[in-house]
Amino acid sequence: MDIEGRGGESGTTATTTATRRRFALPVDAENKSTTFRLFSVAKPHMRAFHLSWFQFFCCFVSTFAAPPLLPIIRENLNLTATDIGNAGIASVSGSVFARIVMGTACDLFGPRLASAALTLSTAPAVYFTAGIKSPIGFIMVRFFAGFSLATFVSTQFWMSSMFSGPVVGSANGIAAGWGNLGGGATQLIMPLVFSVIQQMGAAKFTAWRIAFFIPGLFQTFSAFAVLLFGQDLPDGDYWAMHKAGEKEKDKVGKVIKHGITNYRGWITALAYGYCFGVELTIDNIIAEYFFDRFHLDLKTAGIIAASFGLANFFARPGGGILSDLMARRFGMRGRLWSWWIIQTLGGVLCASLGQIDSLTGSIVVMLIFSVFVQASCGLTFGVVPFISRRSLGVISGMTGAGGNVGAVLTQLIFFKGSKYSKETGITLMGIMSIACSLPICLIYFPQWGGMFCGPSSKKVTEEDYYLAEWSSKEKANNLHLGSQKFAETSVSERGRATTHPQT
Amino acid sequence: MAITKLLFASLLICSMIQSSHGATKERLFTDLEKGALEITATPSRTGQGVVLAAGVDKLSITWKVSSTATKEAEFKIIKVKLCYAPVSQVDRPWRKTHNELFKDKSCPHKISSFPYDPTVKTAQSFDYTLERDIPTGTYYVRAYAVDAQDHEVAFGQTTNEAKTADLFSVQAISGRHKSLDIASVCFSVFSVVALLVFFVNEKRKAKIEQSK
Repeated sequence: MDIEGRGGESGTTATTTATRRRFALPVDAENKSTTFRLFSVAKPHMRAFHLSWFQFFCCFVSTFAAPPLLPIIRENLNLTATDIGNAGIASVSGSVFARIVMGTACDLFGPRLASAALTLSTAPAVYFTAGIKSPIGFIMVRFFAGFSLATFVSTQFWMSSMFSGPVVGSANGIAAGWGNLGGGATQLIMPLVFSVIQQMGAAKFTAWRIAFFIPGLFQTFSAFAVLLFGQDLPDGDYWAMHKAGEKEKDKVGKVIKHGITNYRGWITALAYGYCFGVELTIDNIIAEYFFDRFHLDLKTAGIIAASFGLANFFARPGGGILSDLMARRFGMRGRLWSWWIIQTLGGVLCASLGQIDSLTGSIVVMLIFSVFVQASCGLTFGVVPFISRRSLGVISGMTGAGGNVGAVLTQLIFFKGSKYSKETGITLMGIMSIACSLPICLIYFPQWGGMFCGPSSKKVTEEDYYLAEWSSKEKANNLHLGSQKFAETSVSERGRATTHPQT
Repeated sequence: MAITKLLFASLLICSMIQSSHGATKERLFTDLEKGALEITATPSRTGQGVVLAAGVDKLSITWKVSSTATKEAEFKIIKVKLCYAPVSQVDRPWRKTHNELFKDKSCPHKISSFPYDPTVKTAQSFDYTLERDIPTGTYYVRAYAVDAQDHEVAFGQTTNEAKTADLFSVQAISGRHKSLDIASVCFSVFSVVALLVFFVNEKRKAKIEQSK
């Protein structure tokens, strides 16, 4: 089969239909793109990229639309600090469950339908924010709107389906990074929208309500764009391929079983809880931290809060790109080492942030810390696509959910009530990050090795590893062919010839 | 090079922030002359359990300089503010009382500000309609006398030192509108129905594909 994908004179394979497919980008055996061209919107690869990051961006804007307007919302609804803390926890806890379910939904229905369904069904929570009248209402809308953060899983799944090994880290990192950007952008967008509406004559307590329609509408229309212009796989949509017999529907139970019994998924979930979880916690508390500790006014504190999130523009993609660069030379071991080092350094910087007394020092350390913690998120998803092929969605979902669990736990232990001052909480969070990054050392792939061990002496191949997820009966029915193709392309994770004994 | 750009930007931000800190850090509330102004605030509706409505009800504020005031010569401007009673400050650190004047957040709502006329010795009054952005809470009124350098020198308040007497309650406007509620419902229904339409369409396309 012609791996350039330029159609032309290539013959058909035994498994695909007679249609020859032309792609604008060079592709591999699974028709996944082997390059990443940022400024292209070519169907289906780059188009999927732009649709998925934009949808995720809109969901992030909606989920974190309330924090920048809190000074007004808290007066309108008579909120206490406890209510605000609970709402912050609620906003990130809803998507723990949603991310796990989304993983399975992507495996079964495809990322296009799964993500658009979630986005459209959580948009009502954003619209109804305009009508809330009590602290309970506030907590409820933040809880339900927060479910939309599960579109992260569909983004990663979709990128892992569209882009091949050598560029998957970059694609995942840029898509997720530009989505996470929404958390920073919203700190600038919402106050701006609010002041425009106020200038048009609305009272303060009405203007913020009207402002929430903007993120709601963007969320709705981004979902439409995904449904109208997106495509699940390079070869087509899941439903078309199911019917044409090209893609077999897999069994839910089996997919879940192979996901949760893979110990690596649990380690990535824990580690992600202490990079992404830290990022979410900081998103919720950092404006208040600068406001209280250094007596800045709300606008200045808001700008600093925004800059933490805006670093995602290059920091998280940088992590993904670094992962791919390390893999080129050192294979999977390079990915693991760089991930562990960057995440541990992020923890060290977090711990020192709490100890610094000067404003200038705090801002500088916070900015460097933001780069390291967001890069570690990118590095995590350089490793995740390789843990399982059959249960890619479940593993992505577990890892993504682990991120939110980390945020919930951290806010509950260190940032609720007045047990710890915020600066002590930040230092302790950094120390916990360092501790929870250690299990990365335990991740071991028999075909490629781990941080401290080389590949297995039993000469395990990529095929052995990925096809172990299928029983011989399933193999007899040719259900394993997707994994087979993936195994072939993942040989690049061995690194350069000199670093792997089998090549 | 991205790192150097980042550090430069942060240095710029820091210098801007440092320069915006005034030299007013040391002035304390306890340094001000207590009771230099005698002030009372009478709500337009009084009685047991009456809650005033923001945007509707009024306060009638009467004030004069006390005979015991010593710094009267420095008074240039009188600033009258609406302040939170302790019960409205519970679990709300953004309304906390601090002794340092620049940090104090207990009196954020400006009622009125006018120049002090030393020739008028009798009590003066004015009416104030509660603004529409006053939050729900329990309040009292405080007047600061400010000198030519815009520093507070004296104050007077409608309640006692423990802030327990002569407090009044305000209920904020809800800010909600029927039109907004209707719009919420419409857009939500639109989103969900659009989703169902897409689903049905996909199933239909799949059936057509299969029958080909």
